[in-house]
Amino acid sequence: MTERFVSAAETMGRVLGMPGYGFSTIEHPVSSADDAGLAARARAAIEQGCRLLVQQGT
Amino acid sequence: MTFRVLDPTAGEAAASGQRAPRLGTLQGKTVGFISNGKVGTKGFFAHLEKMLREEYGVAQVVSRTKSNYSAPADAHIVAEIRQWDAVVSGIGD
Amino acid sequence: MTMQLQSKIYEADSIGAVQELYHSNGWTDGLPVVPPTEDAVRACLDWVMMPPDQLIGIEPVRGLAITAEKLAINAVMAGCLPMHFPVVVTAWTAMMQEPFLLHGATASTGGCAILVVLNGPIRHEIGASGTFNALGNSDRATSVIGRAIRLCLINLLEARPGAIDRSTLGHPGKFSFCIAEDEEDTTWKSLSEQRGLPKEASAVTVMAAGAPRQIMNEWTTRPEEILETFAADIRANLRHYSIHPGNYALIIPKQLREHLQAAQWSKTDIANFIHERARIKRGEWAEVGKGAVVRDKADKVYPALESTDHLLVIAAGGPAGGFGAVIPPWLGNKSRAVTLPIGACVDCEPPKK
Repeated sequence: MTERFVSAAETMGRVLGMPGYGFSTIEHPVSSADDAGLAARARAAIEQGCRLLVQQGT
Repeated sequence: MTFRVLDPTAGEAAASGQRAPRLGTLQGKTVGFISNGKVGTKGFFAHLEKMLREEYGVAQVVSRTKSNYSAPADAHIVAEIRQWDAVVSGIGD
Repeated sequence: MTMQLQSKIYEADSIGAVQELYHSNGWTDGLPVVPPTEDAVRACLDWVMMPPDQLIGIEPVRGLAITAEKLAINAVMAGCLPMHFPVVVTAWTAMMQEPFLLHGATASTGGCAILVVLNGPIRHEIGASGTFNALGNSDRATSVIGRAIRLCLINLLEARPGAIDRSTLGHPGKFSFCIAEDEEDTTWKSLSEQRGLPKEASAVTVMAAGAPRQIMNEWTTRPEEILETFAADIRANLRHYSIHPGNYALIIPKQLREHLQAAQWSKTDIANFIHERARIKRGEWAEVGKGAVVRDKADKVYPALESTDHLLVIAAGGPAGGFGAVIPPWLGNKSRAVTLPIGACVDCEPPKK
């Protein structure tokens, strides 16, 4: 989620019956970021996301 | 004077599913992207794909874009998810 | 009819305590609410002859069942009397039709409100006025009906600012945005009749709408010139806000309406004209600071209306003043206006004994 939509993601998780559903947070906005900015956001998404997708300790 | 007044809210929904089991590794896996198609997402997902392939050994990346960025993913995209090992999607603009 | 209400009951020992209970829980729009007592809620349900658990519809993103009881609680809070409740039920039924895209319309950063237009005999039954101050606080009925829509969104869909409702700005219509058409003082078909319903039916039209934009042209009686001012404002919206086509609403008060009617222009004639004149080229975006997204499509033409049927022409407003209003869509190609007759219900069952 971009950082300005974190509360929306938390609310939707709760509303859909999965409170505390984990997600990555990246810088907002995406629409006006340059290529280096998009790469940095992808890096942040992967670093947080992999911890969510993959069992830890493997 | 005591007022007896009613709760106007709908209450919490029952869980609409459960978390899928976590992967042991991303090596050799298929990852699907569900994009909202807004400006910047193409470049963002391009970088994400490159990193996943080159650094994490992801074998295949499938990219899908919702037909309506203000609505949930199209049914045919959701149906494809069962063929993927992991999904990346998000909220933002 | 079973009148066992399902909602949790709270006790408060004063009007002030009721207010603080509801405000502190985030259950209001910031204004005081009418305490929703069991009797007041049952009176609304009685009026529409629905049991509390009557299913009005399912909000698809959450799989959330919207019941008559929950709509009635929020309607009472807004100040609705039982006679206003059929309009609230019909509006919500219309909002949950797929073309309306309810979740998108209420969650988006675009910050639209729900415009509700009333047609038919219901207007007289509830005292809804389509004349002075039509887009403001014209009368009790339209004020409380519009407010009920918003309270239902807040409490049933959690469309609270910063939570599900991501509106960057929003607009004042989010408090209440309900108007009655002035059908008696026009030769035109009503909005609902224009959209295919019988003339004598009471009906509700809902549209995910931006803020109204007031125009003025009191210097001509020629329809083409009057409507060109409306078209120019729509073109401005395409340039300044969003290029996507959709439903636009035109509010045409009496002074301008009389010139159009005198020249025998119908709502269909108006729609044909606006369809032709309300369009821009993508390259015009460069003139308003949006050159970055023109790319190689400068000559591509964007009409405001994909079809003449998408224009909602509404006769309303006070008798004097060469004013009109353009109400643009939230995101025209995603959400469509829906019109339903009052009393129609989808998949409804007879009241349980």
